[in-house]
Amino acid sequence: MKRKEAIKTIFGAINSSAIVVSTTGLISREVFSGFDSPRNIYVPGSMGLASSIGLAIALCHQNKKVVVIDGDASLLMNLGSMVTIGANQPRNFVHIVLDNGSYGSCSEEKSLSSFANFAKIAKDVSYPYVKVVYSEKTLKKAILLPNDGPIFILVKITLGGRRDFARPLKLVEIKNRFMNFLLTNNK
Amino acid sequence: MNKNNSGQKGFFNSLGGERSEKADCLHRLLKSRGINFATGVPCGVLKNVISNLLNDSEVFHVPANRESEVVGIAAGAYLSGKNPIVYMQNSGLFSASNDIASLLIPYKIPIFFVVSYRGCEGEDAIQHLTTGRATERLLNSFNLPYEVYNQQNLGTLINRMFVHMERKKTPMTLLLKRGWEQ
Repeated sequence: MKRKEAIKTIFGAINSSAIVVSTTGLISREVFSGFDSPRNIYVPGSMGLASSIGLAIALCHQNKKVVVIDGDASLLMNLGSMVTIGANQPRNFVHIVLDNGSYGSCSEEKSLSSFANFAKIAKDVSYPYVKVVYSEKTLKKAILLPNDGPIFILVKITLGGRRDFARPLKLVEIKNRFMNFLLTNNK
Repeated sequence: MNKNNSGQKGFFNSLGGERSEKADCLHRLLKSRGINFATGVPCGVLKNVISNLLNDSEVFHVPANRESEVVGIAAGAYLSGKNPIVYMQNSGLFSASNDIASLLIPYKIPIFFVVSYRGCEGEDAIQHLTTGRATERLLNSFNLPYEVYNQQNLGTLINRMFVHMERKKTPMTLLLKRGWEQ
C-alpha cells in the first residue's frame, strides 16, 4: 500500500460528514487532487500542526468525526500534540498516521520514525484505541470500528507514487467553504 | 483590590497573590469582544491573564506544550466558529513565527495574541535580550499589526485592535511588558 491507496481507503471508509485535516506536502496535495471537498482543511506550510488543528475542531464540534491524516515526519515535528490529545480525550477524533519512514514530499530522506514506537507512545498518552495496519483491508476495518476516540491508526505504507499534483492555493476560499460546511452541517 | 485569587482550577498551578485590576479589565474587554476559547503557553508576566481565562467557565481552555501547537489549536478553534485568544511569551512568538506566516496569514485567520514582552529595558535575564530587541521587528517584517501597552486607555486600545483585526482578518498582537499591571 502506498500513499494513494491509503488515502483512497480512508475516504472510502469515512462518513461523508466527517471533517478531514491533512498534513503538509504530498498528502494534502493528493487529497486535494482526488477528494477535494468543503469538509477538508489542508495544512500548507506549518508542518506538524494538522493534529493540533484537528484536535481543536474535535473539541469544538463534539458531534462530528474529525479525521486527521498525518505523516510520520510531521507527527515527529509536533510529537507533544499527542500528549495534548491524550489529555483532552476527544472521543470524536481519529488520528491516522501514514508512515513511510521518510520525508516523502522532499526527496524521500529518511525520517527518524523507525526509532519512534508511535503505537506505544499513543497508548502511553491514553489514546484508548491504537491499531497498526499494513493493508487497505485492515485500515478500512480499523476506521469502521465504532470505538470511542481518540483513535490512533498507524498505517505502514511504502514510498513512491505520483508527485505532480496541484497545490491547494485558494486558502481563503477553502477556509470560507469549510466554515460554511460546519455551519450548515452542525447536527 | 480584590484579595485572594482563589478557586484555581485547570492544568496550571498558580502562585497565588493579589488580583490585578488591569488583568480583570483586560479579561472583561476580551469577553466583550466575544472571546470564548483560549490556548497558550504560560509566562509569569501573564499570570493573571491566564488565571482569569482558567477561572472563566465560558472560555474553553486548551493549554499547549509549545507555541507552534498554540497556533494550530487556535486556528482549529477559529475554523470551528470560536473566537480564540492565545497567550505566550515573546520568545515563543519566534517559535511560532513560521506557523503564523504559513497558516494564519495565507488562510487570513484573525487571532488575538496576548504576548509578554521580555527583553526590554531593565531585563535581568540574558536569554531574552536578542528576542526582546527583535520582537517588534519580527512583527513588522511579517506586516502584522501590534500594540505595546504603555498605560494608555485599555478599553480604547483593545476595541481599536479588535476592529482592525476583524476587518483585515489578520493576527493581532498585544505586547505586555513586565509591570504592565501597575
